[in-house]
Parts: sequence; C-alpha cells; structure tokens
Amino acid sequence: MDQGQSHRIRRRLLALGHFIGLLLAMSLICLPGLWVVLNSFRPTVEIMAKPPVWIPSELNLDNYRAMFGGIGEGGVPVLTYFWNSLVISLTSTVIALLVGMAGGYAFARYRIPGKSAVFVGLMVTRAVPGVALSLPLFILYGRLGIIDTHFGMILVYVALNVPFTIWLIDGFFRQVPKELAEAAEIDGCTRWQAFWKVEFPVARAGIASAGIFAFLTSWNEYALASQLTRSLNSKTMPVGLMDFTSQFTLNWGGMCALAVLMIIPALVLTFLVQKHLIAGLTFGGVKG
Amino acid sequence: MADVVLRDVVKNYGALPVVHAINLDIAHGEFVVLVGPSGCGKSTTLRMIAGLEAISGGTVRIGDRVVNDLPPRDRNISMVFQNYALYPHMSVRENLGFSLHIAKRPKAEIDKAVAEAAEILSLTPLLDRKPGQLSGGQRQRVAMGRAIVRHPDVFLFDEPLSNLDAKLRTQMRVEIKRLHQKVGTTIIYVTHDQIEAITLADRIVIMRDGHIVQIGTPLEVFERPVNAFVATFIGSPPMNLLPATVAGGALRLADGSTIPMPPGLSVRDGQAVHFGVRADNIMPEGHSMPPTAHMAHVEMPVTLTEPLGTETLLFATLAGTEVQAKMLNPRPVRTGEVLRFGIALDKCHLFDATTGASLRV
Amino acid sequence: MYRMRLPPWLLLLLPAFVILLAVVAIPLVLSFYSSFTAFQLTRPETITKWIGTFNYQKAMGDANFWAAFGRTVLLLTVALNLEMLLGLGLALMVAKVTRGQRLLRTMMMFPMMFSPILVGFQFKFIFNDNVGLLNNALQSLGLTDVAIPWLVDGSLAFFAIVFAEVWTSTSVFAILILAGLFAIPQDPVEAARVDGCTPWQTFRYVTLPFLMPFIYIAMAIRSLDVARAYDIVQVMTAGGPARRTELLWTLIGRTGYVDARMGYANAMGYIAILLSIVFTVYFFRKLTTARTSLGMGD
Repeated sequence: MDQGQSHRIRRRLLALGHFIGLLLAMSLICLPGLWVVLNSFRPTVEIMAKPPVWIPSELNLDNYRAMFGGIGEGGVPVLTYFWNSLVISLTSTVIALLVGMAGGYAFARYRIPGKSAVFVGLMVTRAVPGVALSLPLFILYGRLGIIDTHFGMILVYVALNVPFTIWLIDGFFRQVPKELAEAAEIDGCTRWQAFWKVEFPVARAGIASAGIFAFLTSWNEYALASQLTRSLNSKTMPVGLMDFTSQFTLNWGGMCALAVLMIIPALVLTFLVQKHLIAGLTFGGVKG
Repeated sequence: MADVVLRDVVKNYGALPVVHAINLDIAHGEFVVLVGPSGCGKSTTLRMIAGLEAISGGTVRIGDRVVNDLPPRDRNISMVFQNYALYPHMSVRENLGFSLHIAKRPKAEIDKAVAEAAEILSLTPLLDRKPGQLSGGQRQRVAMGRAIVRHPDVFLFDEPLSNLDAKLRTQMRVEIKRLHQKVGTTIIYVTHDQIEAITLADRIVIMRDGHIVQIGTPLEVFERPVNAFVATFIGSPPMNLLPATVAGGALRLADGSTIPMPPGLSVRDGQAVHFGVRADNIMPEGHSMPPTAHMAHVEMPVTLTEPLGTETLLFATLAGTEVQAKMLNPRPVRTGEVLRFGIALDKCHLFDATTGASLRV
Repeated sequence: MYRMRLPPWLLLLLPAFVILLAVVAIPLVLSFYSSFTAFQLTRPETITKWIGTFNYQKAMGDANFWAAFGRTVLLLTVALNLEMLLGLGLALMVAKVTRGQRLLRTMMMFPMMFSPILVGFQFKFIFNDNVGLLNNALQSLGLTDVAIPWLVDGSLAFFAIVFAEVWTSTSVFAILILAGLFAIPQDPVEAARVDGCTPWQTFRYVTLPFLMPFIYIAMAIRSLDVARAYDIVQVMTAGGPARRTELLWTLIGRTGYVDARMGYANAMGYIAILLSIVFTVYFFRKLTTARTSLGMGD
C-alpha cells in the first residue's frame, strides 16, 4: 500500500512540474513577441522612458495612424510594402510548390541514377548563405535589368524554397501507395489525371505544410531583399523595417506597428494549417 | 508465479464507462482467455492488469500485492503485443535481453537466459538479426521470447496471433500451449477469435459491452451457454436461433409448425423464446450421428451447400429462417432439394426472446 | 519522326534544376571566378584582374577571418545543441498535454513567424543597456543597480546573440520532434514499461532512438538555414563591438559591400559555404544511419 501511495504523490508532483515548466517555456516564447505588440500601441517616448513605465498610461493607435499616414508626414509607404510582400511571397510560394511537386513526385516514383547524391546536391544549394549569394546575384541582375522588380525577387525566392518543398513533398508522395494511382489508371485515367484526381488530393496536407514553410521564408527574408530591392517597386516589409531607422535614432513604436502587420498574416496562416504541418513533417521526415 | 484477482474493477474514459465493475479470480498457473467482440473491454481489462491503463475503480491484486498504483515495471509481468512491439533498433539478442539489462543483471546471466529462451523458441540462428529482417512468425516468437526471459509472475497476451496468416496462427497456437505446459506460469490471453479461446484456455471469460457474460471451461461455455449471445459467439458455425412460442408443451415456430419441447427446461405457456440448435445437432437422415433419446424431424429445402471434405455444411430454410446443418459422409445435394433432418432435442437450447437468458435448469 | 525523349524523372526535375542553376549555380560560378580576381564593387573593370589564389591565401593568413570562422563554428555548435535540448524538452511537454494542444502548438511556432531581421531589432531592444526590457526588469526587481552592458561586452553580446538565435529557432526543433513523437508506435513504448523500464529508461532506450531521425532532420535543416543568423547579428551588433561578435557572414557582408572588396569577400564566402555543406552532409549521413538502424531505410 505504501508503495502505491508514494507513486501517487510522485505523479502529482510530476504533473505540477509539467504545468510549471510549460508555463515558463510558453512565457519565454511569447513574451518577447507580445512585448512588440504592446509597444506598437504606445508612444515611443513612453517606451524609451527612464525610469521605465511598466503600466502603460495610455494605449493608442498613433503609430498605426502615422504608418498609414503617407510619406509626407513621416510615415512609411507601408501599404505598398505590404502589397509587394504579398505578391512576391504568394507567387513564389505557388511556383515553388508546383516545381516542388514535380520534383518530389520524380523522387518518390521514379528510379533515378545516383538518387541520394542528386538529393543532397539539391539540398546543399540551400546551404549557400543569402549574403554570399546576394553579391553575384546583384551583378547578374544588374546586367539583366531585373534588379528592383517583382520578377527578380520571385525568382530568387522560388530557388530558395524549391529544395525544401521537393524534400517535404517527396516524403508525402511516398506515403501515397503506388497502387492508388495504378488503380486509377486501370479505371481509365491517364497518368496525368491519376495524379491530379488521386495522388494529389491524398498528399494535399503535406503540400500545404510545404507551402507554409515556403511562404514564411519568403515573407520574412531580408538579406537578399535588402540588396535586390531598391525602391517602392519591389521593397518588401522586412526591408521596410529599415525605414524606421536613421543614422542615430530609431522609431521603435513605428517599427513595432509594422512588425505587427507582418506577423498577423503569418499567424493566421500557421494556425490554419498547423495540424497538417505536424502530419506533413512526420511523413516527410522519417520516410524521406 | 501468482494468482490474479480483480474486484469490482471499473474503467471510465471521461464519463464513458468501458468496463463495469468486473470480478475475476485467476488461479496460480491457470491459462485464462478473455474473449469477446471488438469494443467489449477485454483489451482494456488486460491493460489495466498490465498497468498501461489507470484503474478508475476497484482493485487489482497480483499475488499478495494490490497493484492499482504500481507502474507496470513494478508488477513483475510480461506482455506480448498484437504488433509484436519489438525494438526495431536492437538485434534479436538485445531485444530478448533488454528487460534483464534494464534490471542490471550480470552479463553472464543475461546471456544464459537469452540462450535458453532462444532455444525454447528455436530463435538461436536469428539472434544477430534486426526485427526488420524477420518474418511475421519469427517476430512473434521473439516477442514471446522477450516475455519468458524475465520469468514473470504473469504473462499477458494481447491478441498476439491476429497479424499472422491462418496456417502460422494454428502453429503458434500449439507453441503457446506448449510454452504454458513447460513454464507453468499464469497466462491471461486476450483474443476476439473464439476458436483460439476454446483451443487454448483452461477457462474462458466471455465479455460484452464491458461486462463479463460467462466464465467457464471451454466445454462449459460451449455446452451450457448462459445466454443467446454466448451461444452464437462460441462455436463455428454459430448456433442457429429460431423464433418460437411455447404452446401446450411444444414449440410453435413462425410458420405455425411445431417441434416437441426439448427436455430439461423451465418455461411458461405462451412464452416467446428462441430455439437454439447447433449445426452438429441437425443433420439429414442417413448422414447423421446415431439418434438420441429425444429426436424431432423436419423437412427443409436446401439453398446452398459448402463441402468441407469429411462433411458438408448445408444451408436450408426452416420456418422462414436460414438454418445451417451438417451432413456427414456427404453426397452431392442439388439446390432446392428437400431433405428430412433429424434434430437431437436433448442438445438444444431455449433462450428467452426478450432477455436472451438460457432457460435450461 | 524521331524525337529525343528525356526520361520522365528528368523532365519532372528539370524546372527545379533550371531555377537552381539560374539563381544559385551561375552566380556561384561568377563569384567563384571573381574570388580569383581583385574585383572591387566600386571599380567594375577590376573583375578582369586575375590574381590567382591570392584572396584565399590572404584569408588563410587573416586573423580576423579565423576569429570569425571559429566564432561561427562555436555559435553553430552552442546554438544547435541548445536548440535541440530545449526543443526536445518543449516537444515532450507539449505532447503530454491533452486539452488545448492545438493552441499550444501554434504558440510554440510563434517565433517562426518572426522575420529574423525583426528578431534582431526585438532583441536589440530587449538587451539595450539603457532602456532595454531586461535591464529595466532586473533593476525594477532590485536584482542589480547597474546597467549591464549586454550588447557592449564581448561575451555578454555573444550570449545575447545565442539567446536570440535560440529563441527563434527552438521552434523548428520542437515542431519536428513533436512530429516525431506523434509518429512513434506506442507498442514498443508500452513493451518497455512492462519490461521494467523507468520513465527515464523508456525515454533513453526506446523513445530517443525513434526520435533520432527527426533530430537529425532538424539539425540538417538548421545547418542549412544558419545564414539566418546573419540578419539577427547584423542588426543586434553588426559584428561589433570591435569585431567581438563578428561571424563569417557579417565579415563577408562588410568586406563586400562596405569595403567593396568583392573578390576577397567571395573567397571567404566560399569557405563559409564549404563549412555549411560539411555540417549539412554530416547530419544527412547521421540521418541515414539512424533511419537504417530503425529499419526505415530506402
């Protein structure tokens, strides 16, 4: 009986420890972000106050108003940045997914000579740091005249994301039994129809998770964008953040407001597909 | 070795009860099989004994210890899982010796125990393979070997043969029985296959909807089922059940024809019942066992035949219900042919139509 | 009519090859060439001035380069290991939760949604010695009355960078390991418990081997992605103070753009790429081994 009792007590203690640990971890994860959100509603003067103001005296939308206010009044052309980011990220994600689907399907379904070497070779292109790439790309783009265009940025981000989308999608197609497509072909589908009508729907969750990763990468990328964008034509939000800095000062409140604008779409998207994300990684990962 | 006692054991998932206050006494060295349709609570019961599920109420005792709050590792049990549950990253040898290794036994002792278990289960040539390189039957044997090296108080088997093909299953059934004879340890075995239950068990525990319906030796549950559920669940093909009414010392079937009342029953006049007869006890004349003291005779048209070699299973219609009968020394039978069948009434059963309870005294 | 037919797999992979060739391979060839020249961004004609392996020799003999190289390897080692341990802990805790797990999982991924550049600014402010959140908190709680120079002192700045790096990227480990935890078959875990394992032993002998492929995948992804650290470090310290947090990428960026010595920057860039590739191939190797030992190989 005694043994049972001590086990029960230990279980309680463990449960308590688990709860506290989780609480601590989650606060560490969320607080810096929430601090940014909070600061976006406070005047910069109060954020920078010394001694610090812990309980905000007032929360207002001044930073947002200034941000959307237009260039003349010290604002930042945030809507243009947002639009650029959206167009570039969405287009490059869609293209990266299409290319990734083709490549992933090839890896999952065909015998490829030197398969693993080709595979690692593809992945290694991702290992090239953006900063190392930005120098030659800058020169190349300059020659081609596609610096500071949506097209140029989309091209870069597709290349950045393709290795990863191929990898994830390959894992997912492997989960789809070959027999499924074969059955569809016997039922009268062409190989093309069999793909779109049978294999694609089954692997859709994995493709969605690959899409999220691709989107987040493009949405948040800075190193390349800072070199390859010059003006309102193609500047994205991460680059736009720099508009709030000048040689000696930094408009922290304004920056936070733009940051919130950047995070919201990412947050919504992640929440929507997070279940598929886990499933996608499970398949893509081990079997890949 | 130890006995196992369950007292009012309850399992709830949230508000949903899955096992209702069951009581079970398993003697030292006994081979007990829990059997029932899927979702009847048999696996949950086994997992509560193993400590893999928390017990919501009541007590479980193994030997002289109440184990309700003990983790599985302190219960001195072994378990064989449906999907073998071998550790894929360890060789057969490491799989077999793992529990002893965890218990920090000396290396020599582990090697000896592993060699012994491997010998019993003829695994010796496979010791250095990984589970991925073994066939289904071999994996099953490794899983059993892993259970026996510990010399536990109780063996638990959770549907261990359901992933094997029919031939292998029969073979492994024999091996399990032989293993029990050799080591004599208490075994609790869960299956949904009534043939496995009958062939293996000292005693069968039949469960349904979280209740124990009947406990008894294989012969007891076969010959004296307590209700219509057990009657149809145990035995193959399942017992035929015909709706009938008790009328003046005889049974009136749905089409108005009558059969004499089987002996040894307690019934009221006008009671709605189900008349139960196994295929072995309804046979065409000239192809049957020698008649018993109480016989009834019916004529039925044959709708389908299933030759099984030494006998043929006949599907026929009696009073609008399909009945399965056996034909010994079979001859070819045409579909639609009307045969005269003899029913051995003293082997028949009556069940109350509403409660399903057996009306045998 | 004769038509040359490509095998279908090549046809399917062709778009990927073409894009990677155009955006990664050609620029790399270009920069590889320029790393043998005295190319300066401000004087385009210098790209034709061939100087052989001079840039590489110079890098080999440059103490600043080796310091940055060592610091980068140190950062990678410390950050990846910390992220792995914390991610493992986090995933284990989240996996145990039964109600509200969906919300927790989204919260867990919160840092992944932050642009690295934003993370840089965020932590630059948190660690600011004058008005930073951390010093404000420490002072208000009375734990210290001096302003700790988080980003000014060399080793404190390194710590701050590691902290920011770990904050953003632990999620990647946590989410992959969580995916692994969901994929673990329950039977062997239960078998281990019955076989007499304590929770720790079950974890050590059964759960962890199953998780190893996922951990290596996360390691591989992260070692591919380490250049993200460039954005963070660039914003937080820009390699300063006095080069004490200089990493390969900040050094390359400065040499190329600020000092305009592109050829030299590219030579160092190649060494950095090589480093990344070594890490990545190493983890891929480990991944294959771990998979094979679980019987999950191709």
